[in-house]
Amino acid sequence: MTQMRYVDGLRRAIELEMERDQRVIVLGEDVGVGGPFGITVGLLERFGERRVINTPISEDSIMGLATGAALAGKRPIIEIMFVDFITLAMSQLVNHTAKLRFMSGGQLSVPLVIRVQQGAGGGWGAHHSQSLEAWFHHVPGLKVVAPSNAADALGLLRAAIRDDDPVLFIEHRGLHFRRDEVSDPDAIPALGTAKILRGGKDLTIITYSKAVWDALAAADELAARDLSAEVIDLRSLSPLDMDTVLGSVRRTSRALIVHEAVRQGGLGAEIAAHIQETAFDWLDAPMHRVGAPFAPVPASPVLEQAFVPDTRTIVAAVEQMLGLAPASSTEDPLERRRA
Amino acid sequence: MTQPHSYSVEAKRKFLEQMLTIRRAEEQVIHFATDHEDLIRGHFHVYIGQEASGVGACAALGPDDYVFTTHRNHGHVIARGGELGPVLAEIIGRTTGYNKGRGGTFHVIAPHLGILQTSGVVGGCVPLAAGAAFSIKKRGTRQVSLVFFGDGVLEEGAFYEAVNLASLWKLPVVFVCENNDVARERRKGGASPSDSLAARQLTDISNAFSVPSVTADGADMLAMAAAMGDAVSKVRGGAGPVFVESRITRWPGNAGTFPALLGGDYRLDWALAPSSGPKELQDWLQHSDPVALFVRTLVANGAMSKADVEAMDARIRKAVAEAASFALASPAPKAECALEHIFAA
Amino acid sequence: MTPDTNILYRDMLQRMLLIRAFEERVIELAHRRELAGLLHVGIGQEGVAVGVATALGDGDYLYGTHRSHGHFLARGTDPGRLMAELAGKESGLCRGRGGSMHIVDAARKLMTATGIVGGTIPLALGTALVARESGHVVAVYFGDGASNTGSFHECLNMASLWKLPVVLVCENNGYAEFTPMSAHTVVSHVSVHGKPYGIPADIIDGNDTLAVLNAARAAVARAREGGGPTIVECQTYRLRGHYVGDPASYRKADEVAEWRDKDPIRRFTGLLQQRGTITAHEIDALTAAARARVDDAVAFARESPQPTPQSVADHVYA
Repeated sequence: MTQMRYVDGLRRAIELEMERDQRVIVLGEDVGVGGPFGITVGLLERFGERRVINTPISEDSIMGLATGAALAGKRPIIEIMFVDFITLAMSQLVNHTAKLRFMSGGQLSVPLVIRVQQGAGGGWGAHHSQSLEAWFHHVPGLKVVAPSNAADALGLLRAAIRDDDPVLFIEHRGLHFRRDEVSDPDAIPALGTAKILRGGKDLTIITYSKAVWDALAAADELAARDLSAEVIDLRSLSPLDMDTVLGSVRRTSRALIVHEAVRQGGLGAEIAAHIQETAFDWLDAPMHRVGAPFAPVPASPVLEQAFVPDTRTIVAAVEQMLGLAPASSTEDPLERRRA
Repeated sequence: MTQPHSYSVEAKRKFLEQMLTIRRAEEQVIHFATDHEDLIRGHFHVYIGQEASGVGACAALGPDDYVFTTHRNHGHVIARGGELGPVLAEIIGRTTGYNKGRGGTFHVIAPHLGILQTSGVVGGCVPLAAGAAFSIKKRGTRQVSLVFFGDGVLEEGAFYEAVNLASLWKLPVVFVCENNDVARERRKGGASPSDSLAARQLTDISNAFSVPSVTADGADMLAMAAAMGDAVSKVRGGAGPVFVESRITRWPGNAGTFPALLGGDYRLDWALAPSSGPKELQDWLQHSDPVALFVRTLVANGAMSKADVEAMDARIRKAVAEAASFALASPAPKAECALEHIFAA
Repeated sequence: MTPDTNILYRDMLQRMLLIRAFEERVIELAHRRELAGLLHVGIGQEGVAVGVATALGDGDYLYGTHRSHGHFLARGTDPGRLMAELAGKESGLCRGRGGSMHIVDAARKLMTATGIVGGTIPLALGTALVARESGHVVAVYFGDGASNTGSFHECLNMASLWKLPVVLVCENNGYAEFTPMSAHTVVSHVSVHGKPYGIPADIIDGNDTLAVLNAARAAVARAREGGGPTIVECQTYRLRGHYVGDPASYRKADEVAEWRDKDPIRRFTGLLQQRGTITAHEIDALTAAARARVDDAVAFARESPQPTPQSVADHVYA
């Protein structure tokens, strides 16, 4: 049993795969000096400048460049410093990276991993704090992964690097320094598989990334009130492991989806729609979604805190779903729980 | 070639006053980060060492001109007339800030001063500045649209698209590139070797688009004022865009990930006698600190006495301290108003 | 001229004739509604396509634009499989999924065409990172319109910074869709943009097939020897509209006529006749043979089955 930080899991995954497969290369702004979060520290010294390429600030072109390298047989890992800047790379990512296999009728393969850091917290403001996974969930040809803990950071990144399709790998900034027990550091889970982190019988909370920890804390609070919440960590956002989700909902009959991303048009909408299409008769109550309000991320600490859903928000949502009296003051002036 | 300019004593005093205001305000921002828990979270960028560039540029502008800038905007906002209280309050996210705490340090915007946007996205404001210039041209006014950006922006495609359009349509844009990684011996001209930009001279790029381009020593207050004065009047005259590269040697306190007040708060003694300053700042104080260079020039020429300078600095420090208290005492926004100002109605 | 050169030039002419015949047939089939979609033909630009294709060696890569039928045919793509792709058939190069603007012939290292203006330039740079390991080069086409995209400049910087083995072939036909160059940029030549980055350029008459061949060969050699990128700017003209169906009323008749007189095929045949490489009779025979090959391609496409509706989501993932 090892303890590891999330960032160490990421770095370890890259190192292991670069050792194992000469075709794996790393590209991105400042990656040669470790990047702003230190994840690529030491890679340049170890693997050389042919395999660790520091790029200028040219997101559109470096996304295309990484794709072109993949077309010619490399397995690139491109780092986009903040998901907000992926907007600059959208044309290459959506029009080429995601579609070349299809448009070529299967002749071409794009085994590329796009690592992005995302999320609010820290007061960095509207251009450095967004959660944009819903956009990419919507693009056929891309896979999307969002690990919540160090073990999955390690295992799922290795899986993504070995996958022959382009994978958008989402790392929440707020998870970087969390330490987790890693029971099997060599495990490489399959992409597209969710994990039930906590069993329960009264409702299913479906979530991912940093919100997983708020959900688990909420489940603890609810347990003290004799409510048993099952918490599912999706891990993969495209493809979604709806089998695990549906199996759980059939047992608990209630579903709450939680994400930091804006509620409107978020992944909660897709998941809820899918559940009601397939498991309508098992539901005892309407499903709810917790997400951020429909606003850009504010810089002010007070506003940012009000913006990002947290344990309190989740508990209040459950109270509402189950018709319970609020345990404490759970004013939700921003209506994060409902439209 | 920049025409010789002469500046009155009054004008020079004004320049120094603005430079010192920026210097002291940015020190205060660093103190906000180091002396308080959780007041400035995340990253922030200060303009220490670059004051001559922003002051020179803004001095050339008229009240109706537009300004666009970047994450390193505090100096520009102050040089443009931003008041210390609302600037500092915005930086720490209070309701009395220019943007009611929604922008934060990266996004101190003041439309009433013509500062329409600052961007956290490298190069993000360059197309916006071209657009504002397009609007000026359509309306037929004599405004100009000035955009500040760093040398990194020349790696971003958006810059090229905007320069092409500005040149093609002869838009009244003043492109001000603050290249802040220039070795001190190269500031008055010369190449900019870089491991992320293959162009030897930044101005080669703008020249390729037939945009008249000049370089200026970003540590020389009067040279900056002259170069910017010429650039702005040329653009205002309808000749199309102009590109100015302000060549700056980085303040050593900006060498790391976060700004650090090496040797503590700035002392005027260091400006007048660099050898009295901290070891790490010696070279910079001697050759590259715009404040030090200007103070020494003013005192040597008799435009100001040492006592004048000290008195001016003392007034400024007091004003900054008051503004800091104002900011700290200002309320944080209430959670309920997080959803305001997203849409018009 | 040596016998080898004769053979080479005849082969080049054959390919130019094939492209011309193919593209003319595409227009006809589109008018008859046998081919659907947005089609861009390269009539008038055959000199560039064949000159560049001939300069590349085995194993070298090529990236196209939205107007790449000729680029691919010049490199040996089977006209039947290309026509079938345009017809959306399962037997097409891309099983009918790519269509005219997104053709791929990976076996010939014809990596992809694209609907995104300038979109293949970054792809080419990335492939060049790989190609250099085995001494290969990458050629990529783009037009004068693409030179205004930010990505073009980002790529000039990186290609120069890393001395990548790329040949940047600009088909400067004077128009970005419907807009003449003078209205979309201030520079006189696209090559101007390479200067700040120290990228050498060759501005040539793109309708002089041998000039294209020579310039492309020099650029390929420079790239292969580690000398980095070159811009080969070929001044040419598309004798038809931007897309099939575009009446191109934004162009003056005398301008079109002037360029018709500079038709690359007419010039090349003239040159070869003058040198005694070929006779008028042989030209007729080659032209007929090209048309016959295209007839076969059309027949193949017509006879090929459509893809099944059930396969609509195939080939999205590995």
